[in-house]
Amino acid sequence: MTHPILENRSRVLIWCLAWVILAAGQASVIHFVYGSTTDIAVADGIISMLLYGLLGITIWFPVRYMLRSNNKVLSTIMNVILTGAVTIVLWLFITRALVRALVPEKEDYDLFWHTVLVFRVAAGVLIFFVVTLIYYLYLSATQLAEKASRQAQLEALVREGELKMLRAQINPHFLFNSLNSMSSLTLTDPMKAREMILKLSDFMRYSLSSRTDQPVTLQSEMESLRLYLEIEKVRFGERLIIEEDIQPECLTALLPGMLLQPLYENAVKHGVYESTEKVVIRTSAHKEDGLVVISVTNNIDPESVVTRKGAGIGLVNVRSRLELFFGEKADLTVTRKDDSFNVMIKFPYRKS
Amino acid sequence: MKNIRVLIIEDETPARELIKYMLKDHPGIEVIGECADGFCGAREIKEKRPDLIFLDIQMPKLTGFELLEVLDEKPEVIFTTAFDQYAIRAFELNAVDYLLKPYSKERFDSALAKAVSRIGKETQEPDKVEKLVTAVTEAEGYLTRIVFRKGAGIKIIPLNLISYLASEDDYVMIYYSEGKALKPKTMKYYEDHLPPSLFMRVHRSYMVNIEQITRLEPYSKDNYVAVLKSGEKIPVSRTGYKMLREKLNF
Repeated sequence: MTHPILENRSRVLIWCLAWVILAAGQASVIHFVYGSTTDIAVADGIISMLLYGLLGITIWFPVRYMLRSNNKVLSTIMNVILTGAVTIVLWLFITRALVRALVPEKEDYDLFWHTVLVFRVAAGVLIFFVVTLIYYLYLSATQLAEKASRQAQLEALVREGELKMLRAQINPHFLFNSLNSMSSLTLTDPMKAREMILKLSDFMRYSLSSRTDQPVTLQSEMESLRLYLEIEKVRFGERLIIEEDIQPECLTALLPGMLLQPLYENAVKHGVYESTEKVVIRTSAHKEDGLVVISVTNNIDPESVVTRKGAGIGLVNVRSRLELFFGEKADLTVTRKDDSFNVMIKFPYRKS
Repeated sequence: MKNIRVLIIEDETPARELIKYMLKDHPGIEVIGECADGFCGAREIKEKRPDLIFLDIQMPKLTGFELLEVLDEKPEVIFTTAFDQYAIRAFELNAVDYLLKPYSKERFDSALAKAVSRIGKETQEPDKVEKLVTAVTEAEGYLTRIVFRKGAGIKIIPLNLISYLASEDDYVMIYYSEGKALKPKTMKYYEDHLPPSLFMRVHRSYMVNIEQITRLEPYSKDNYVAVLKSGEKIPVSRTGYKMLREKLNF
C-alpha cells in the first residue's frame, strides 16, 4: 500500500499547510506570550514543526505495520506508545540541536528550552496521537473498502461460476467419451458398465451441488476426484496410474468445491491425451506452518508437442478462486519440466 | 468376394472394443489391426493398406486430421468423435459421414454400408478429405504446429522451431531447426494459416519467423536481407521492410 499522504498531491498540500499553520502558531506563542526574540521564535517554530511534519510522514510505516498485524490489543498499544516515545525524543533532540546551531542567543535559548520543555513534550504527544489517529482512520477505511470489493468480486464469481461449472468443469469431451465407453461396456462387460454409470452419476452430482461459496472438506473433494480419475482409468486403462500421499490431518481442511478438479483435468489432458506411454498422476498433501500444501504432478511425454488451445485458462480460474476465497495467503505455482508438470497450491488451513 | 480390411485408430480401449463388437455381425469384414495413437495409425496404413479406417480425431501425438494430411493414399474413412464443434461443422459442410459418440448400432451400420459401397469406386472426389482438413484448420484458427512425413516416420514441428518458409514452384519449403521439408501448399495458404504475430511475409517468396531475426542488413538499393539466428539470410522486399519496421518498432 502506498503512503496515504504522499500518494495524492492535494493531501501533500493540506499536510504542508497544516504544519505551516502550526509553525506560525508556535512562533507567535513563543514571541508574544513568552517574549523571546524574533530569531528564536521563528527558528524554533519553523524547525520544530518542519521536523515534526517529516517525522509525521515516516511514522505511517510503523503505524501501518502495527495496526495491520493481528497482535493483541495490549501489545499494539505498547508498540504505539514506544513509537511515540522514540518519535518525540528524536524530535526534541534534533530540534534543539538545529535551533541552537542557528540562533546567536544560545544561552537565552537554553533557558527558554528548559522552561517550556514540559509544554513542548505535551504538544509533541498530542500531535503524535492526532497523526496516529488520522492514519488509523485511513487504514480502517481502506481495509473496509478492500473487504467490500473482495466480497463483491466473490459474489460475482459465484454467480458466474455456477454457469461455468457445467460448461468448463465437466468437459463435454470427457462426458461423451465416458458415455461411449459405457455404451461399449454394456455389451462387453455389463457389470463394469453399471459401476461406471454409478461413478459418473456420483461425480456429476458432486460437481452440480458444489457451489463456489459453499466450502467442502478436502476429503469430499478428493473422493469426487477419485471418481473422476477412475472413470478416466476405464477409458485409458493401464496408461493412467494414480498415486496418492495425503496426510490425514489435511482431510478436514475446507476449500471451495471443485477447486482442484481443473488440475486433474489438465493432468489428464496434457499427460494422458498426449502420451502413448504410462502416465502417473501423483497427489500429495501436507500441512506446513498453518498452510495446507497440495501438489499434483503428472509426467508428460517429452516428445509431445503441446498444441491444445486454451491450456492455462483452467489454472487461471483456479488461481482466482483460490485468491478470492482465501485472500493473499493462498498461492499457486506451476513448474513445468521436460518430462513432468507440477501444480502446487497453498492455502490457510481452516477446519470444518 | 474379397474381405474388406479394416483398421481401427482410436485411443480408448472401450471405444475400440465397441467398434469390434459392432463389426462382428458383418461377414466379409476383417479387422486387420488396432492403433491407440496417430503415429501407429500412419505406420499401419502404410504397411497393411487397409480398405477402411475408423479414425478418432483427438488422439495422442497426431490428431486424426494430421494423420490424413501425411498420407499419400487415403483409405476410406469413418470419423468418430465425441465432441468437437469445429470438426462436426466441417463434416456437415463437406458432407462427410461421421459417427458421434456414443452412437447406435443402426447409425453404425448405415455409416459402414455407405463407406463399403464407396470402396473401390472413384465416386468420392479425391480432394474431399483435403478440403475437410483445410476447413477444420480454418475453423480452429491458426496452425500451432506443422506435420510432415520424413522417411518412414512422421515429424511434428512446433512453430517456434521454424525459421522461415520459401516458395518453390507449387510447393513451400519449410526450414526448421533440424532441416527442411517440402509441403504441397501455397505461400498464400501459410500466410493465411500461420499466426501473424509470429510469421511475416517479408518477400513474395519468403515468410519468416520474426523471433528468429537477429538483424536487418541493407543489400542493394531498396533491398534488405534479414539475418536469422541460424546465420541464414532471407531477402526482404521494400514492403516487407516497411512491415517489419512497423512490427518491430524501429
